[in-house]
Amino acid sequence: MSSVDIIFPTGLSYSFFISNLGAKKDFFMNTRLLLIGNEAIARGLVENGCAMALSYPGTPASEILPAVAKWRNELNLCMHVRWALNEKIAFETAYAGSIAGLRTAVSMKQVGLNVASDPFMSAAYMGVKGGFIVISADDPGPHSSQTEQDSRMMAMFAKVPVLDPCNAEQARDFIALAYELSEAYEVPVMLRPTTRICHGGQDIELREIKAPLRSAVLKRDPARWAATPKFRYALHKSLNEKLSAIAAHAPTRPRLLNPGIKTSRAIVASGVAFAHAVEIAADSGIIENAAVWQVIQPFPLHTDFMENLLAEYTDILVIEESAPVIEMQLAAGHMVKGRMNGHIPQAGELLPEIIEDAMKRFCGLSSKPRPQVPATGGKRPCLCAGCSHRASFFAIKKTFPDAIYTSDIGCYTLGLNLGAIDTVLCMGASISQASGFYQAFKLGGTQKDIVATIGDSTFFHSGAAALMDAVVQDSRFILVVLDNSTTAMTGNQPTPASGLDACGNAVPELSIEDIVKGCKVEFCRVGDPYDLPGFIDLLKEAHSHTKDMGVAVVIARYPCLVDKKSNGALHERIDMYVSDLCNGCGYCIKQFECPAIEHDAPSGKAVINAEACSGCAICAHVCPQGAIKKVGE
Amino acid sequence: MDIKSVLFSGVGGQGIILASAILAKCAFKKGLMVKESELHGMAQRGGSVVSHVRFGNEVFSPLIPKGGADFLVALEELEGLRNSYYLKPSGIVILSTKKIIPQTADPSLNPYPEDAEKRLCADGFQVRTIDSFAIAKEIGNLKVENVILVGALSSYLDFPMELWEQAISDSVPPKTVQINIEAFNKGREITVNI
Repeated sequence: MSSVDIIFPTGLSYSFFISNLGAKKDFFMNTRLLLIGNEAIARGLVENGCAMALSYPGTPASEILPAVAKWRNELNLCMHVRWALNEKIAFETAYAGSIAGLRTAVSMKQVGLNVASDPFMSAAYMGVKGGFIVISADDPGPHSSQTEQDSRMMAMFAKVPVLDPCNAEQARDFIALAYELSEAYEVPVMLRPTTRICHGGQDIELREIKAPLRSAVLKRDPARWAATPKFRYALHKSLNEKLSAIAAHAPTRPRLLNPGIKTSRAIVASGVAFAHAVEIAADSGIIENAAVWQVIQPFPLHTDFMENLLAEYTDILVIEESAPVIEMQLAAGHMVKGRMNGHIPQAGELLPEIIEDAMKRFCGLSSKPRPQVPATGGKRPCLCAGCSHRASFFAIKKTFPDAIYTSDIGCYTLGLNLGAIDTVLCMGASISQASGFYQAFKLGGTQKDIVATIGDSTFFHSGAAALMDAVVQDSRFILVVLDNSTTAMTGNQPTPASGLDACGNAVPELSIEDIVKGCKVEFCRVGDPYDLPGFIDLLKEAHSHTKDMGVAVVIARYPCLVDKKSNGALHERIDMYVSDLCNGCGYCIKQFECPAIEHDAPSGKAVINAEACSGCAICAHVCPQGAIKKVGE
Repeated sequence: MDIKSVLFSGVGGQGIILASAILAKCAFKKGLMVKESELHGMAQRGGSVVSHVRFGNEVFSPLIPKGGADFLVALEELEGLRNSYYLKPSGIVILSTKKIIPQTADPSLNPYPEDAEKRLCADGFQVRTIDSFAIAKEIGNLKVENVILVGALSSYLDFPMELWEQAISDSVPPKTVQINIEAFNKGREITVNI
């Protein structure tokens, strides 16, 4: 089949509203490619002359930058593509490029935008020269995040226009729209994909890649780029004027799925919820009795759209993730049904069946009964077999059974399963919380044992600043930096200690030890968690230091076993078995939780699953009976 | 809308994303519109995970509604049982007989179900069990269980063999193409006469 003519039930072609930017729905295999949304966004950036792309990894946004780097390398494009230390720095670096007239972009997950919110708010006032896109990926559910927060609310807060694509192809197409919008009004523009866009795949017609051609120019204008409060007031007024104009910007106007329909009902949807709604409307016949609108620019909502919507329809259902951004702007509670009055759930992902039920209720149709979700629990995530974090946590727990354990964001958050984590707040907070707990208990005259755990990438992201602060506050605790020399949870991106950039080129590398010593921490030692007894001794030494000297830092260093790019030295594999000494107490399974140690139901004893086992041999130290042994021992 | 929906279920690390990518690429090469949805991040660290693939002449949503899947490809028995609510009545289950026992399962309170196939059949689903672990062992690569199950699924779908082979070649490392095609064929042989 070389070409497929796709006609929507109403006679409207698919390409009209999903991709009415010139793409024809032809299946020319050489120009169409299956991409996930993050790759599609990256493609949009390189197709539209983006010269600088920066990011900090975070699910669901992590794959955007590597895809940009891939096309940059393949086509030898003149682009600066880098992982930054954190999202704030990524934002500020890319924003500088825009001030210098280049097209630039910064990508991050939604909580990353919290970190970058300071420059984000100010950049809205100061505006841009070259097009500047802030890609902030949300995670309704949440599937792999601390919160379900809606980045569109941040856009509204900052007074920045935001585009909300309904699928991967639209995400790619909106990059062009966003750059045009950004340059036409000299404002940053947010692109807000969600998990189902970022990690949703589809076929996409590739367009030509344009090499970035502009050269950087910085026209001195301190009244704007270094504006004092007096000038900020003027900038704020000018931002308001820009927003009024953007609320009439034609290319981003809401699109009607079924023009010509005569009805008093309107369904207004955005993001992937619109994609679900289109199918539900077609299957249920709702397409014949309700106008279905896609909002592509949820903020600022188009002024004439709002006026016409409230004039033409008497009953309006708004379906959007995850906050009532469109709904609040419509500000007509008596006519509008949505999250604010319970017609759409206020938490959780908007799954197709939730949207179907809401749409059918809205149109007076009955819903079919749904299959019952069985109560059987699933398998929770856990650290990989042989992960050195497991050994570190086991050692910490064994050495300080009554300590307060503060921890952080990464794979090692799974130390929760091992009972070795009491608190996880946000990136870098393990160190400041440890400091805070120390000071809180000190007020009552007690010194609690406190052990903070943080990953290497998170330490660079925002841990180092917290460590400096803990030192000058004279707080006392043990900080264990779980250094597996990669950003593991998000797909093994390099860290500042890797000596490689996002494109695989050599760059200067940083050392965690040097930073720790630079923070005036006197006790800074590197240990190998695979040597469990030695590592426990090191923790005890660190403990005696904290008693009266201050913060002690132990760097638990061992490469991540799933990092294919790692060239770190690994220990030799040691095969293990469970001897007759096993009395089935379950200690190893509950306290060590290695996927390679299983409970054998018939015998009631532990058994090593040789296929799953990595041969780390740490479990030899775990069994209270000494039943787990090295083969041949 | 004439859409086929396939849900893959298993635990992180079993190759769910690769299995769904092979199916998605094959449907795409056939000239169909494809939408798929996968999960990255924490979901990949050994926990329960599903992946959605939908294809047809026209597909908008990347997610299968509950009760909307034509096929459930389960790489693990408990995950097959847990996700059967995604299936249409009398939907088809390709069920690996592999068992991955959650460490949190207390054997006395919450035993691992021993009768997954029977329970799925009792619910009216058509169940095809595959001992993917034994086949993978026989082939000599324990990482190909996912592709064996895609092979078993392939008998139910009208895609020519060369498209499957292309989809596999496009998805796996060059060195493992042959072994993956062998795995695919082994799976396909089991279901081909249905």
